[in-house]
Amino acid sequence: MAIPEKPLYYLSIHEAHELIQKRSLSPVELTRAVLDRIAAVDGKLHAYINLMADNALAEARTAEGEILRGNWRGPMHGIPVAVKDQLDVDGAPARIRQHTKGVGDATAVRKLREAGAIMMGKLHMSSLPDAELPVPRNPWNTEHITGGSSTGSGAAVSGGLCLGSLGEDTAGSIRNPSAFCGIVGLKATYGRVSRHGLAPLSWSLDHCGPMARAVEDVAHMLQAIAGHDSKDPTSSAAPVAEYASALREDVKGMIIGVPRDYINECAPRTEPVVLKLVDKAIEKLKSLGARIEEVKVPTLHLATIANAVIYYNEFWAAHKSDAALILKNGAAQRRARIYLGLLTGSADYIQAQRMRSRCREELAEVFRRVDCLALPNQAGPAPLVKDVGPIDTLFKHVVPEYHGPFNLTGLPTLSVPCGFSDSNLPIALQLVGKPFDELTVLRAGYTYQQNTAWHDQRPPI
Amino acid sequence: MDKLIEQSLHALLAREGLQPKEGDLEEFAKIIELYMGNLKTLHSIDLGAEEVAGVFRPEWTAK
Repeated sequence: MAIPEKPLYYLSIHEAHELIQKRSLSPVELTRAVLDRIAAVDGKLHAYINLMADNALAEARTAEGEILRGNWRGPMHGIPVAVKDQLDVDGAPARIRQHTKGVGDATAVRKLREAGAIMMGKLHMSSLPDAELPVPRNPWNTEHITGGSSTGSGAAVSGGLCLGSLGEDTAGSIRNPSAFCGIVGLKATYGRVSRHGLAPLSWSLDHCGPMARAVEDVAHMLQAIAGHDSKDPTSSAAPVAEYASALREDVKGMIIGVPRDYINECAPRTEPVVLKLVDKAIEKLKSLGARIEEVKVPTLHLATIANAVIYYNEFWAAHKSDAALILKNGAAQRRARIYLGLLTGSADYIQAQRMRSRCREELAEVFRRVDCLALPNQAGPAPLVKDVGPIDTLFKHVVPEYHGPFNLTGLPTLSVPCGFSDSNLPIALQLVGKPFDELTVLRAGYTYQQNTAWHDQRPPI
Repeated sequence: MDKLIEQSLHALLAREGLQPKEGDLEEFAKIIELYMGNLKTLHSIDLGAEEVAGVFRPEWTAK
């Protein structure tokens, strides 16, 4: 099999694994290419906060030996990946914890290693206590942010500094940087991926998931990390699907719901280019055989608020013991969450949980008629670094927007690139599925991707 | 910031033995006021008497 006409660091996981499996590409060669890329551009992108180059090369040599001996473990074997700081890695606990200990490898990290992935290092995230760390830059235009809070993951995957990354999403933190950086991100169903070893923001809203450059890549990553974990009490025992089976072009007869009323509610805060490109993407899915149906979810406009109330109250509860440290030298976002969490009363928290039940019931009713939902994934293209204040993200969390409702309800959501703004910044479509039905959103996303060229575009960095 | 909210926050922080970082309450006044307004909005919807927040189930689940 010939190596595609692109730099090795821009191979998709799917492309690289086929070459590695056939022994046409060495994991060591691929890891070296990614390390060279990091050396060349991370001084501009600031994605890595802990590059584990020696370990990565040692792991790559081990992988190479195993594959040469005929012990190929699967699609992630020999693939260079990196993880958001929030996940513990053995020898590199989450810096965001400040004073609490890590657990060695987080379960998702351990599973990636068992699948043979090469661990390149830890990536920046919003709210790190180290104020001197430079803010990651968007590979599409380094004057712009990557989106957060999986900031480093967005920059690293988009810029070719790893082939895939693990992110975390409490209120859009996988989907937002995926959209801003022109990559694919999957927030799987709550409980699908273990949270063990993930520094908590909000126990009942935190989701760990894959970020990569193509739908098939997040499917391969999800296959490696999904499944029950006795170390995470919220981890689900629901059977894990064969996600590669979603990798076929087929949306014929699929019913895609569009929550038009809710999109209209968010429209005053959404740039027209986003609405236009998302509508075009929905039209594209229709032209490929999907049936489009407008749906109503009456309380969706309160779901973002309910998500914020649960987020900040659980954040306060999770950080009561280290709140003094956070207020002394934590990032502004974390200090603000402490204040907001303190101001949230028990009746507020319970009302938010009741709203969560109501919203889940309404969505369950809608999903009796549709297979997935399609809607925007961002209010606009990535803003300029200079225009973003330290707590601006929090304002997004307290007005109706596109992410929080699906953390609140735990549904699987996929972010897929669907075009570019006039200033050549990426825009994305969001697809939402039924609980534990990642297959449908992957299939819809894959079909869209195979019939468009957005995911093949590479940033000018 | 609304005086009542500010006093409440100071009291809640004091109860926990905490102090706000200098300048924080002024810097975060807008988000705090917006959030407190949203809490009222959240309570404005009638969820009825039977809308439960979560259900306790007494059965034991295997780890």
